[in-house]
Amino acid sequence: MPFGYHGCVLRVDATCGRAERVPLDETVLRECLGGSGLGARLLLDEGWAAGDPLAPEAPLVFAFSPLVGSPLTTSAKFAVVSKSPLTGRFNDSLASSGFAVAGKGCGCDAIVVVGQAPQLSALVIDASDTADGDAPRVRLEPVEALRGATCRDAEAALRAQLGPGFRIASIGPAGERAVRYATISHDGRHAGRGGSGAVLGAKRIKAIAVRGSRRAQWAQPHELTALSRDLSQRSFGPATAKYRELGTAANLLTFNRFGALPTRNFQTGTFDEAVNLSPEQLSTTRAKTRESCVACTIGCEHIYGTAGGGVRVEYENLFALGSLCGIADAEVVLAASRRCDDLGIDTISAGGTIAFAMECAEQGWLEAPWLTFGSGDALLRALDLIGSREGLGDLLAEGSRRAAAAIGHDSLAIAPQVKGLEIPGYEPRALQTMALGFAVGARGADHNRSGAYEVDFSDKVDRRHVTLDAVRHAIETEDKAALMDSLILCKFLRGVFDDFYGESALMLRAVTGWDVTGDELRSTARRIVAAKREFNLRAGWTPAEDTLPDRFLKTPLPNDPAASLSRERLDALVAEYHRQRGW
Amino acid sequence: MHVEFLGVPRERAGIPELEVHAATLGQLLGALVARLPSLAEIIDDGRLHPAFVANVNGDRFVKDPATPLGDDDHVLILSADAGG
Repeated sequence: MPFGYHGCVLRVDATCGRAERVPLDETVLRECLGGSGLGARLLLDEGWAAGDPLAPEAPLVFAFSPLVGSPLTTSAKFAVVSKSPLTGRFNDSLASSGFAVAGKGCGCDAIVVVGQAPQLSALVIDASDTADGDAPRVRLEPVEALRGATCRDAEAALRAQLGPGFRIASIGPAGERAVRYATISHDGRHAGRGGSGAVLGAKRIKAIAVRGSRRAQWAQPHELTALSRDLSQRSFGPATAKYRELGTAANLLTFNRFGALPTRNFQTGTFDEAVNLSPEQLSTTRAKTRESCVACTIGCEHIYGTAGGGVRVEYENLFALGSLCGIADAEVVLAASRRCDDLGIDTISAGGTIAFAMECAEQGWLEAPWLTFGSGDALLRALDLIGSREGLGDLLAEGSRRAAAAIGHDSLAIAPQVKGLEIPGYEPRALQTMALGFAVGARGADHNRSGAYEVDFSDKVDRRHVTLDAVRHAIETEDKAALMDSLILCKFLRGVFDDFYGESALMLRAVTGWDVTGDELRSTARRIVAAKREFNLRAGWTPAEDTLPDRFLKTPLPNDPAASLSRERLDALVAEYHRQRGW
Repeated sequence: MHVEFLGVPRERAGIPELEVHAATLGQLLGALVARLPSLAEIIDDGRLHPAFVANVNGDRFVKDPATPLGDDDHVLILSADAGG
């Protein structure tokens, strides 16, 4: 068994609740590491790329990583990988904390779930009191009483029911009802994008509960301890100050200042009332606490008090449920964020789809006069309808691309999505390296798999007039993200590395004993990006998908006419990207 | 010139903006840390810490201390990792 790994996958058939341990070859592990990389490999091996992601047979992978369970800060993370019911393409969503440690503690490097339970159930995987090398006990626990329960309530009920030591990932009502951007939640955090919650819901699995404390061995424990201490020390420095002190919400005023804050369904890039939603303002009007994932020294989670309880605030929910819908009332935005958490839906896709519908209603393309920009009541009502799939919610639960197909007119041009995944809070015309990152993303418009916005906020490019030189920088951020998502380490650490690949190689060497180098990890990152594309090819991807909606290519930003991106320029960037990738 | 702080630099400065006269980026950073010693964490030896960046007029991101600046310029100081 290789150091850092258990050397096997636990493959569970939810139809009968049986599991088998499938050996993993060390060569495979070295080629794809863990997390997104291992998940992509396992998903390809399952051979379901052309299948229906909501069919019982569709595989859903929970992939851990070699660093999980180590003392390296931020390493307690896992990837959920499947074909997306929203995009029909590859999807990997990451979440953090105890589920990763307990899941790997079950003596496996990944859990693959196929099949469909006979009734709504919890999938219980318990490695306690079992010998190393034995399969954990696996069973289906009927949980009909939890139908419709929020993620939070479902986790609490199962913790009480199953006993101590279990870590639980669950879906909310939206996952049960196949909302195409339903999340899988764990401990208040979400594997958020692309609808993995709908995939789990289609298997009639309300939650997966894992318990186990098996440890993979480390090859060089003394070196690993020293590296971990050093990394933790650096994680307290200026490179992570933003996340500690303000959280990602700090982006809000910065993006607004640069005219890059998507507002009213991307009709403009500035929001006059942005300060109302800023963490600087929120901190003056309500209580705030900070929390951390397990094994994290950064502590980026900023929880703001509301009448309904604490709400974790990130930039993406402030933007998607705030400026994108024209909502300036912080109380409404926080309530909407909590509603998304409870329902188990992705805030970006929810906000993006609702903002799109607001503009369609404004245009007279959609018969919903109540759905207006700036109306908090409308936002909250729309979220409830999505969660229940009632009335208009049944259409909006499909995401903006499918909704546009049903609405017709010219609505696809203003549907804020790429490959069906709603665009996060980065105005592509003002941040054009990011525009390329969005266009070529394997899972669609994505700020976690491409960090190209960092290039736009640097002296490497002119962010509103990027040239082909930007392509290599965009590729570099995509490769780095692929490696971080496969080791796995939190991206909020990215600023602390002087030599990311070289330092990653040292960490991986200490865990696995492999004579791995930075150059090898560069190749590994590219291989992982290519594996995602390979899945998409098998799923039917064509080059025409690597683009942006017409709005961004035909209309300059009203608040900044210099921020203009033509179809010809984007096409040239995408073609150069494909050329440099060798595709 | 006008200097505006965003995010963590604003937290350190304790103020959102101020007026400073300087001919280069290096001079500006020196003047800022002299007036606001709490900025020492992000300004070291006349340069911004790599976790922070400067932008001129919303257009150019600059880091060379010799970068010339004019009295009409509007300089923004912000975190380098603007996303997340």
